[in-house]
Amino acid sequence: MALLQLQDVNSGYGYGPDILNGVSLDVEAGKAYCIIGPNGAGKSTLLKTVAGLLKPRKGQVLFDDAAIGGRRPDLILAAGVCYVPQDRSLFPEMSVRENLVMGAFLETDKEVVKERMDRVFEMFPVLEDRLNQRAGTMSGGEQQMLALGRALMIEPRLLMIDEPSLGLAPQIAEQIFEIIRRLADLDMTLLLVEQNVLKGLDCTDWAFLLDLGELRIEAPSDQILDDPRIRELYLGRQREATRQPTPGGGEGS
Amino acid sequence: MTQLIQVVILGLLLGGVYALMASGLTLMFGVMRIVNLAHGVFIIAACYVAFYLFRGPGWDPFVSLAVSMPLFFLIGVGVYSLLFPRIEGTPRFTEMTVLLTFALALITEGLLAYFFTGTVRSTDPAYKTDAIRVGDFFIPTAQSLASITSLVLLIGLWAFLYFTRTGYAVRATMQNRTAAQIVGVNVRRVSTISFGIGMALAGASGSLISFLFPFFPARHWQWIAILLALIVLGGLGSLKGAVVGALLLAVMAGIVSHFFGSTWSPMTFFGALFLILLVRPQGLFGHQARVG
Repeated sequence: MALLQLQDVNSGYGYGPDILNGVSLDVEAGKAYCIIGPNGAGKSTLLKTVAGLLKPRKGQVLFDDAAIGGRRPDLILAAGVCYVPQDRSLFPEMSVRENLVMGAFLETDKEVVKERMDRVFEMFPVLEDRLNQRAGTMSGGEQQMLALGRALMIEPRLLMIDEPSLGLAPQIAEQIFEIIRRLADLDMTLLLVEQNVLKGLDCTDWAFLLDLGELRIEAPSDQILDDPRIRELYLGRQREATRQPTPGGGEGS
Repeated sequence: MTQLIQVVILGLLLGGVYALMASGLTLMFGVMRIVNLAHGVFIIAACYVAFYLFRGPGWDPFVSLAVSMPLFFLIGVGVYSLLFPRIEGTPRFTEMTVLLTFALALITEGLLAYFFTGTVRSTDPAYKTDAIRVGDFFIPTAQSLASITSLVLLIGLWAFLYFTRTGYAVRATMQNRTAAQIVGVNVRRVSTISFGIGMALAGASGSLISFLFPFFPARHWQWIAILLALIVLGGLGSLKGAVVGALLLAVMAGIVSHFFGSTWSPMTFFGALFLILLVRPQGLFGHQARVG
């Protein structure tokens, strides 16, 4: 039984056009998924729609068999869906500790919050060292670790991570991927959007390829690049020179 | 020199009350990106509450404050729920709030004038003209009491923001609205509460200035102009900025009026507004490019 199900979902921003066009997909509990696709394919839009930051214009989002599409973001989070946006969305004036405490905003038991914070420190020792530093003054890699740590504070059933390596130096990005691999090994259900396709596929079990707001291909992560249609989608277009040449090179929308 | 210190003392006492008025306004901008041009008219409305509670049952403004704060909190919750959720999420939300609250200010001013006439009013508690002598200086009782009350309320606001769960949610929403949503803050609820708190502060300010400054319905334009200058100087959305801006400008206005006459005192606010926009547009404690 799928943990998350998208059924024929259309979504977009403000009064703008549909960015997602009839996307249907299943995410099963305990597996890690990667969404790849060129710029403007709708990868981030998909995550935002699931998180409740955008309302689906058509179709339905089911989580654990309950319809969550269009519900308030805090209710969707309470159901167990947590989203780490590509800008990391930290609280810049708050300390590392305060950011983590805010991550567990819905959890009112202080003992539980403390235990979870200790678990986050096990995974990200650097956060414990920087406990009282203001989040806005940390480096990009540290901010990404804080964003992931903050997301783990709610112990989500589905963790959606948007472009975690964006803007990070290669060796810092490698640390982040290492953490994502560890989360996947812990059987956390992950939905990852990643510009670095090879790394993203390497951390995950299953991959979705989005193009122009439509789901084109889904396959096991280690096989999707062998699909002949990939060449058609990317290289064919490249010759026409109408699109970005690399798969997902840069930020999504 | 003695005279100058006296002017500074009076300025600081007034500044405390200005800070209270401005903090509500800057809180609304900080949390919801609402520029509330109706903040002044609600302060004047609160003046009338204080005035009639004084004239009728004879309640002191410091007592009526305990009534007008919850009253204006509820009015704020009502006004917010009625007007703002429907334009939430639209592009140019902040610009739309300027127009919306401008209309709200006009309508409220009209209603106040209709019911209470345009007569200049003021509450006249016994201590209104009292003063204490400390050495060479004299400290007016009414202004001191008003300033101390403002200080107490501002400390209360600070404690709420830093030591309560809802306060954390308010600060989180001020720093990053999306992030607040992501960690499970119900930003609609936080916005409603914050608007209510801003209005409660307007209610308290009304009681306090009802005996410090004579008022009539159209007086609010003068107040909102000064308050906007204060919060832009401090940095839109910064509470610390609102308090510092209020104290600074109140003292400067006092000094200007001491040397050049009271005609020039209002100009201090707008002169400072021009200057800060030229030199440091984000204000003393503001952040660059946070609007939008």
